[in-house]
This record gives sequence, C-alpha cells and structure tokens, in this order.
Amino acid sequence: MRRSPDGAAVETSGLSKRYGRTVALEDVALQVPEGSFYVLVGENGAGKSSLLEILMNLERAQSGTATILGLDSVEQGARARAQVGYIPEHHRQLPRWMKCGDLLRHVARYHPAWDEAYADQLVDRFGLKLDRRAGSQSKGEARRLQFALALAHRPPLLLLDEPTDGLDPLIRSRTMSLLVEHLADSPTTVLVSTHRVQELDSLADHIGVLQEGRLVAQMSRDDLLRTVRRYRLEVPEGWQPPPDLRAAEQWRASTGRAMQATLIGEEEVVVARVTASDATVVDTTTLSLEEAAVALLAEAAR
Amino acid sequence: MIVNLDVQDARPIYLQIIDEVRRALVVGSLRPEDPLPSVRELASELRVNPRTVSQAYQELERAGVVYVRRGEGTFVSADALPGPAERRALADRFAKKILIEARRSGIGLEELSAALRRVAGEETAAEGGAGQPEDAVAAVPTGSDEGGEG
Repeated sequence: MRRSPDGAAVETSGLSKRYGRTVALEDVALQVPEGSFYVLVGENGAGKSSLLEILMNLERAQSGTATILGLDSVEQGARARAQVGYIPEHHRQLPRWMKCGDLLRHVARYHPAWDEAYADQLVDRFGLKLDRRAGSQSKGEARRLQFALALAHRPPLLLLDEPTDGLDPLIRSRTMSLLVEHLADSPTTVLVSTHRVQELDSLADHIGVLQEGRLVAQMSRDDLLRTVRRYRLEVPEGWQPPPDLRAAEQWRASTGRAMQATLIGEEEVVVARVTASDATVVDTTTLSLEEAAVALLAEAAR
Repeated sequence: MIVNLDVQDARPIYLQIIDEVRRALVVGSLRPEDPLPSVRELASELRVNPRTVSQAYQELERAGVVYVRRGEGTFVSADALPGPAERRALADRFAKKILIEARRSGIGLEELSAALRRVAGEETAAEGGAGQPEDAVAAVPTGSDEGGEG
C-alpha cells in the first residue's frame, strides 16, 4: 500500500464544500499523523461532519483532494473504506429492519480482517442483543452497535463523528475504556470530532480547530498547551495592551493594577512583548485542552 | 500502585505518570522486583492514550527505574530504591505547587514558611495533646527515678 511520504494517515488539500450558498468547508488542509489520536474541535455546524463524510466519500467536495492511508478517497474509495472503522454522526444510519446479529455478519463480509472472536467479545461487553432489530434500538444501543461494527475488524484508521453522543454517562465511560484497550491492542490512527473536548483530554495528542468551515489551527497537544496560556500581569496606570499581543479574549482587570488574559504565542515572545510595554508578567497558568481549544476558537471569532 | 492524574496539572501526562511511579517508590507502595501494571491496564484505568503510558515506561526504563522481562511485563529494578535525591525532588515538587498557589493569593515566601511552621506546630501540639495523658504517666516516673539515681 502506498503511504504518503510524511507518514500522514489522513491528508486533505484545498478541500472546499458548499451546500447552496452555505460554506461547509473552505480550503481545508488536514494532516493526521499516522498513529495519532487527532481531535477535531468546533461548534455545531463548523463542518466537522462534512469533513468526515467527504473522507468516507459519502459527500463530494467541490474542490480539493483527500487521501486516506495513501489512497485517494474518491478514486480508490472502496479500498480505502474497507480499512476504516467509521461511526457516523447519526445513529439512525443503520438498516432498521435488520437484526443486530445479521447486521454484524453482513458488515463482516466487507472487511476481510473481521475478527470473529473480538466481535463476540465486543457484543458481550457492549451488552448488545443480537436478535433485536436495528430499528427498534434506543439511541444508546444503536451507538454501541456502531462501535462494535467499527472496531471488530481492527481497522488501521478510525473516523469517529461525535462517537459518545446519545450514550448515558456510565456507558460513555465504559465505552472510553473499551476504546483505550482497543488502542493498546491494535495500533490505530484515530480522527474524532467532538464538541466535548474534556472527555478526550487525556487521549488526544493532536488537535484541529474548525471554525465556519476553516481549519483555523492544527497542532500537537504539547504545542497547543505550550503556546496558549493564561497570563497575569502587573501593569502601570493607564496601560493599554500592545497590539502585538495575541489575546484570545477581552482583557480582564483582576485587581487595581493587575490584568489577566489568555495569550497566544511562545512564552518567551509573549513575556518580551509584555516587558516592552512596561508591564510585568506575574504568573502564567497552563490551560486544559478544552480551555486552550476554546481560546483559539475565540481568537478566530474576534 | 495507585496512579493519580491531575487534569489541572500543567505537565504532560507521561511526566505525571513517571512522577507517580517515583512517588510510589518513595512511599514504599512499589518495591524492587514488583511488577508495574501493563500498558493496557494502566491506560484503561486512567483513560489515557496507551502510547502515553508506553512513553512513560520507556523513560523509566531508560532511567534504570524499571526493566522489561520479555513476555512478562515491566518490573521495578532491584536498585531502584529511592535515594535522598528522589525524596528531595518529591519535596521540591510539593514546594513548587504550594508556592504557586500562595503567590496567586498574594502571599510571599516569608509569610508562607511562617504559616507552614505555625500550622505544623499546631498539628503536633494537637496530636501531642491527645496522646499526652498516657505518655505523661509513663514518662514522669521514669524521669523522676532517673533523677533520683543521678
């Protein structure tokens, strides 16, 4: 199999998609390194699902290309999809009349790598009822079935669209454990979209921020947490923030001469600019992954 | 071994895991030749990326704290007993944490160390106070006997 030279499991270039006059994606260049756990963050309607649907060749982009495991998502779509475990945004994308057991056997035929024993184990651990029709399942049951279908062939790539949507907290936590064990047993690249970053905080090692169809940021977790921090400054009277400081949100005055904001940039650079404006950095705080992602979204929206 | 991760902690997760293993050694809940949980077990328990746990174990192996027995897992090295340096590193970490918190509330080093001594003193006094009656009964006669002989 041909892999892209830089070791990307998923790569898009100049990807644009419009529905009528609505822009879903605009010139998106996604880079998901092989073996990474890449979290795609964005508000509802930011284009996350459109992006995953284009990767699965369920939607066509107006322009641009997408490569999955070295295969073109359109030209070699069938071969690419056979190696992907996909959980779509909607749990209703299952044939309603089919019994769960039949559905598992049906999907198995499309995946030469289907692991029968593992599938049984997943059915057991997800508590799935095989004689139940897919259409009569609850939202949570359908989601768990989709998980079993996506994982049972141990694909090299998982594309998960808001995977824990519709799961109650207990099942959600159990599902995350199952996913972690899966990753420990089978080396997998994961691309997951979510608006609940908190839940994936300790799994994510790469993050992409989508806003109104644009990928406004894409970096490793370490880079993100290093370059987006909260700063507290001591400032002289009448101080105005210099224009070369990238503040993610409005400055807040904490006490008399102290100001606080989330600033973007390497710490040395930020500190140098603060110092040059006659203010002093009192302290800096690292943010959680979610806070940092929200800060990038806020900055892009300003 | 109990590993606790703090999501508010600024340090990368693999460093937190390394620190937790070192802490378990200092505390004594992990001893030489003890097995570490498998990558799969620990990742699943902590809900962290298995690669992060592997990274932590690799660093610990490189530092000679643990070693790998092929097919059996990861074990604490025979000579991994924590020395004064480890204890100091652990103490430094606590100090740093408290110092940052204190500074955030506008409390300086002098004030903080005075408060630490005061609070610790109060604790000892409280403990001593509770244990005093028995101790006092036992201690006083011995003391007076010795005094009498001397």
